Amino acid sequence: MEMTKELFSVLLTAILTQNFVLAKFLGICPFLGVSKKVKTASGMSLAVIFVMVLATAVTFPINKYLLVKFNLEYLQTIVFILVIAALVQLVEIVLKKYMKSLYNALGIYLPLITTNCAVLGVVLLNIESNYSFATSMVNSLGAGLGFLLAMVMFAGVRERLESCDIPKALQGLPITLIAASLVSVSFLGFTGVVESIFG
Amino acid sequence: MKNIKEILVPAFALFLICLVATALLGGTNELTADKIAQVAEEAAAKARMSVCEGAVDFQSAEINVGDSVYVCYTALDAEGNSIGYAVTTQDKSYGGTIEVMTGFDTEGKITGVEILTISDTPGLGMNAKSENFRNNYLGKTGELTVSKTPTAENEIQAITGATITSDAVTRCVNAATAVIEAAKGGAN
Amino acid sequence: MAEKKSLGKEFTKGLVAENPVLRLVLGTCPTLAVSTSVSSAIGMGLAATIVLICSNIVISALRKVIPSKVRIPAYIVVIASFVTIIQLIVKAFVPALDSALGVYLPLIVVNCIILGRAEAFASKNAVLASAVDGLGMGVGFTAALFLMATVREVLGAGTFMVGINDLLSVFSDTTFNGFTIPFLSENPMIIFVLAPGGFFVFGIMIALSNMLAEKKGKKRAELRGCEACPMASTCSMNGSCEEKDKEVSE
Repeated sequence: MEMTKELFSVLLTAILTQNFVLAKFLGICPFLGVSKKVKTASGMSLAVIFVMVLATAVTFPINKYLLVKFNLEYLQTIVFILVIAALVQLVEIVLKKYMKSLYNALGIYLPLITTNCAVLGVVLLNIESNYSFATSMVNSLGAGLGFLLAMVMFAGVRERLESCDIPKALQGLPITLIAASLVSVSFLGFTGVVESIFG
Repeated sequence: MKNIKEILVPAFALFLICLVATALLGGTNELTADKIAQVAEEAAAKARMSVCEGAVDFQSAEINVGDSVYVCYTALDAEGNSIGYAVTTQDKSYGGTIEVMTGFDTEGKITGVEILTISDTPGLGMNAKSENFRNNYLGKTGELTVSKTPTAENEIQAITGATITSDAVTRCVNAATAVIEAAKGGAN
Repeated sequence: MAEKKSLGKEFTKGLVAENPVLRLVLGTCPTLAVSTSVSSAIGMGLAATIVLICSNIVISALRKVIPSKVRIPAYIVVIASFVTIIQLIVKAFVPALDSALGVYLPLIVVNCIILGRAEAFASKNAVLASAVDGLGMGVGFTAALFLMATVREVLGAGTFMVGINDLLSVFSDTTFNGFTIPFLSENPMIIFVLAPGGFFVFGIMIALSNMLAEKKGKKRAELRGCEACPMASTCSMNGSCEEKDKEVSE
């Protein structure tokens, strides 16, 4: 019971109060670049969730049973980024060959994810926070879901912006960032929510 | 034949690059590891000195509270008499884990609070590091709570706009009080 | 003489015309994340600049040796090594900066500016030019971070350069630790150091830099999608990410 409560608290924290995009500024490039349409945004986010969870599942044992065991913690950054890069390539090849429809929906976003700081970020943060395997997995899932939520909400906002009369100086990127700022304000409202639910 | 070469050459090149990179990193680590450990030790020693004024030496002991193990430092004066304790505890705050060192005198009164690690918002949660906030705890005993308008003796004035951080620091201090009580109980 | 002039150009283009943050819109994550205080912005800028120069030099020196098939992983290894070296040095000598930057220090690895310059410049140019390009881009990155952090720290916390002594103490003993601005420090507009303030200030800065650029008859800064993306060459969607999506859905 205690365990479930903790996992739920970690999940909600990752989605709402510590949203990767809107509170931690990780994964801003795809957030701004691939959020013009709700459909693209959700496809990209699903691919991110998939890679985040998979990367955590692979890097956690590598860190625990290889790096920490042999006092090689200083190799974390380099090992993790290579593992993520290799993993992304592998997933892309497998999807392309065996699951064509899934590849068409998600696979096309995969190469963009290698250099997405959200993936490396979640892996590093899990280790920094000393999370157990289960907690790490839940945190990664939450981070991914938070990314999805932010992306889809923001894509909705941007679709509306298309038809708005925007002052010339702010057209394009500036108004996008200001819209992101407002979406981010709405997430500030979640501050304290998780703490009050789980005390 | 050509096909195999096309795979082997890049693989070998990549392997070589990784090898050189790892060797370089191993070397840097070798050079900096001692220094990093020393910096961490110095920071901890400095924090211990500042929360237990007048201490010249510390003696460490492991204390079990519930399921967790804490290291409790007993502060010693020049004659080797115990003059207080210092304990490091951690908890979750807004931007991640915070680590707090709390100093007590022999009667269990708080003599100092130092924030060792914190990654909260500058201008808000980060104000926990300010002397203004930390001095709130001085001289207090027992279980403390956070309040926006403190009236009772055991209430701590919350940092404006950063209740979560204030709560987290106070939980750390309360945990430290529990450790000291366990330590003193064990000594009796 | 001609050589010198072109090197000067490589340097200055990173500052203004091709400023990585304000014109190319690269490295947005660290720009938004560490610009809450001027001193951590300077620290981040310096760390990224050193990595950028070193990786540009090594990649340029090895540009004829690295097989093109594995060049992206090779670049990533080179960059990650330098990032780790910097990380270890910072931990050992400037521990305060390490705790201020936190996870964003190792995340320099995935800073698009660095991989982007490796792919776009260092892999095609001589060592010296690549080093100068790295320096220019790094200084441009640091300058943009400094500007943003100044606005956010002054308005959001009412201070300027607080915490700078942790950085300076590496070089000399100094007690200088920034300024506290009267009035603003008692009534800070906290929203500016929070996440929404980051997006807002960045948006306004891009708008201003666009206005300046247009006055000079240059293009507005836009997210370029695939052109600026260092992964473009290995990416299966040649062309715009959005366009490919249309094709697939049809």
